[in-house]
Amino acid sequence: MKTPGPVLAEQVKRIEDSELFSFRSGRLPIWCPGCGYFGIHAGINAALKQLGIPHHKVVVVSGIGCAGRYPFFSNTYGLHTTHGRSLPVATGVKFANPELTVLAVGGDGDGLGIGGGHLPHASRKDINISYVLFDNSIYGLTKGQPSPSSPAGFKTKVSPSGTVERPLNATLMALSYGASFVARLFAGEPRLIGEILAKGIRHPGFSFLHVYTSCVTFDKQYKTWDHLKEWVHPIPEGHNPSDFRAAMDLVLDDDFATGLIYQRGK
Amino acid sequence: MPKLDITVEVCGMAGDGTIAAGGLINEGMSRGGLSVLAFDSYPAEIRGFGRCVTRSRIGHERRTALEEHTHVLISLNDEQSLSRVPFLTEHSAVFFDNQPPTLVPEESSLAAHVEPATALFGMPFTDLAAQAAGSDRGRNLVALGGFAAVFQVPSELFEPAIVKKFKSKGQKVVESNVRCFQAGVAYALERFSERLWDPVSFPPPKEGPEIVMLSGNTAIAEGALDAGLHLYFGYPITPATPIMEYLAKRLPERGGRLMQMEDEIASIGGVLGGFFAGKRSMTATSGPGFALMTELITHGVMSETPAVIINAQRGGPATGLPTKTEQSDLHAAVFGGPGDSARIVIAPTDVPECYHLTIKSFQLAEKYQIPVIVLTDFFLDNRVESVPLPVAEDDARKDMTVYPDPDAKERYRRFKITESGISPRALPGMEGYIFAATGLEHTEKGLPDYTPENHSKMTEKRYRKLRSALEDLPSPVEHTPRGRVDLGVIGWGSNFGSVHEAVNRACERGLKVGALKLTAIYPYHEDAIRDFMSRCDEILIAELNFEGQLANLVGHLHRKEVLRLNRVTGLPMPPSVIYKKILEILGETDS
Repeated sequence: MKTPGPVLAEQVKRIEDSELFSFRSGRLPIWCPGCGYFGIHAGINAALKQLGIPHHKVVVVSGIGCAGRYPFFSNTYGLHTTHGRSLPVATGVKFANPELTVLAVGGDGDGLGIGGGHLPHASRKDINISYVLFDNSIYGLTKGQPSPSSPAGFKTKVSPSGTVERPLNATLMALSYGASFVARLFAGEPRLIGEILAKGIRHPGFSFLHVYTSCVTFDKQYKTWDHLKEWVHPIPEGHNPSDFRAAMDLVLDDDFATGLIYQRGK
Repeated sequence: MPKLDITVEVCGMAGDGTIAAGGLINEGMSRGGLSVLAFDSYPAEIRGFGRCVTRSRIGHERRTALEEHTHVLISLNDEQSLSRVPFLTEHSAVFFDNQPPTLVPEESSLAAHVEPATALFGMPFTDLAAQAAGSDRGRNLVALGGFAAVFQVPSELFEPAIVKKFKSKGQKVVESNVRCFQAGVAYALERFSERLWDPVSFPPPKEGPEIVMLSGNTAIAEGALDAGLHLYFGYPITPATPIMEYLAKRLPERGGRLMQMEDEIASIGGVLGGFFAGKRSMTATSGPGFALMTELITHGVMSETPAVIINAQRGGPATGLPTKTEQSDLHAAVFGGPGDSARIVIAPTDVPECYHLTIKSFQLAEKYQIPVIVLTDFFLDNRVESVPLPVAEDDARKDMTVYPDPDAKERYRRFKITESGISPRALPGMEGYIFAATGLEHTEKGLPDYTPENHSKMTEKRYRKLRSALEDLPSPVEHTPRGRVDLGVIGWGSNFGSVHEAVNRACERGLKVGALKLTAIYPYHEDAIRDFMSRCDEILIAELNFEGQLANLVGHLHRKEVLRLNRVTGLPMPPSVIYKKILEILGETDS
């Protein structure tokens, strides 16, 4: 599907006008109009603004995929790595210069598929970076194949009869890998993303932000905006993020509660 | 006085103290001012039932190759040592346990298998150790004492080496081992008084730099430290692991940081991230790990991010031969990975070069913003050489980064096309130069661009860096007098030591043969190599791989087909093999 330029330009202008962020390049993001990534983008920049971090002190390290293109649009230093490798590269950047704020970003294919071997280790090593996983449960840049977080029965061009695999639950994975800061968020709530990411950046260890988002172009069955808006809800009031067992219970019982789920040492 | 050049072997089962005894021989003889080159072979399994052999070539002249033959065999286990008998020279000396702890069947007895001219020194290693120290664990030290007595090596050379070796295990262990050694000396002096060999002649002590026993791996680690290494990321793999183990202690002492990663992909990822943010970073691996790294190495090429990667070659494809030596990753190092990816590959040929070329690799990586691969091999990594303590040049830590012009902020182009190919490089944290680096083809500003003109221009730019880097890369070195020769032999990596020795031998015989050492593998000095070739009638390229990988790379520079000598035994190529090939090519008979 070809992106209608004027519609996209309008999206870009809206974000520029919001003063949350000014684009570095005059180029338009490759993201489709209505893509959830615009919301995440707004959230990330809200966090940086809230913390008052100068943009040249931030490095965004990404993998491959629609989310991987993030560094080209963000007014920060950026390193667009290879498929799945944002976490180890981000680790090197942070170790080399701990004064930098280092964000790793990538999609569900990048982070749970090809790069799935790195999340456990960034988590257990408690590397002081923030990892924002853009989870729309589909491979968008290659035009619509099932991802590791697609639900069983997901129909695509390469799974015409529906997939048979069970989906990965990234929030649950991060918790069980020992991540010290785990949040689940929704691209439709940029304000909450900004608020939680600001906490995550201040958190002196690995912060994992699992963001549900929608691929408006290739997913008409699962994580559509309509579905997500219906399913997503705030985590119950009174949830204690420092209680690991409560966090596990919450995640085991509820796939769509958004907010700060767990933070160790608080 | 004839020049001394002997090879001493200690052979036993894993657990016999074979490696310890071999190490003490090296240390002691080196203390006496002799040159030592030693290489151990041991089983891949931790506590297998494998054979351990240490081989030490000891002499007045520095050697960088091992021959197959052995002059002195110290056997800690007859059954294991039997396989070494065919390699004994005619007039060799063999030390063995004539009352071993377990019965040796007659057909496995070493004494029954050696040639008549062999000097046999049977000693009750086990009993002597038990008498001297209350346990038979010091058998290896008794054997060492026998060797010292028969060759009349002064105890002042060995005893300090023994103390140094066992110091960390406490005074009691030190004393037990010294007593075992002394018991071996006393026994041999008494029993073999009529049969002592001519004493080993030690050179007069001389002033100069301290002589140390250094392995290739340690030299690499020390070189990296002296180059200001800040971050090391690695994953355990034979034979590169000793580099990580050495740095694990030393790097934090110097303010750096080391992390064992989840795999080799993560290791090279950490290195690229570290260098991207401006700190010297490195990883070391072997073939299988290197294969996993290749995608990110080409990312370093594309995003012009420096990296230093040591590839300690083992043998074979896939897991191959983890504890054997080979030079079969040259193609992978030079060409491995997607696309036309210009990187630098250098290969040290001996332990001092391991040190100096590791330092060089950081300078090249930083200056040319490019991954630099240092190709070593199992033999080079694990052998020890007695060498003058290497000292870094003054510029080892000098920041080679080409920074952007402070006035150019608005116009800053991270990947600016220049004559040298080098673009000014800003580091994250520097205000006013924000850019993104990517593995996608990109414009001078770093934005994705797949247009035909752009890809052509940027590819040329990246390859221009190689041309520029040639002037900083070590030139080929001729190790023979200049002038026309009938045959030129080219070697690289550890195998050059064998090439050098074989060519020297041929020259001593009066043959017109030259040797050329290549340490810059890619890019290579085309003009210098062609110049050498133009003065040789025939060219022979000797290397430890099946395909003739260097020959494939540079053979086209010769006006006719180059000759090849390839061996894949997993063992270093003995100089005599190359010497024979030289004679064969020149139509000479071996006499």
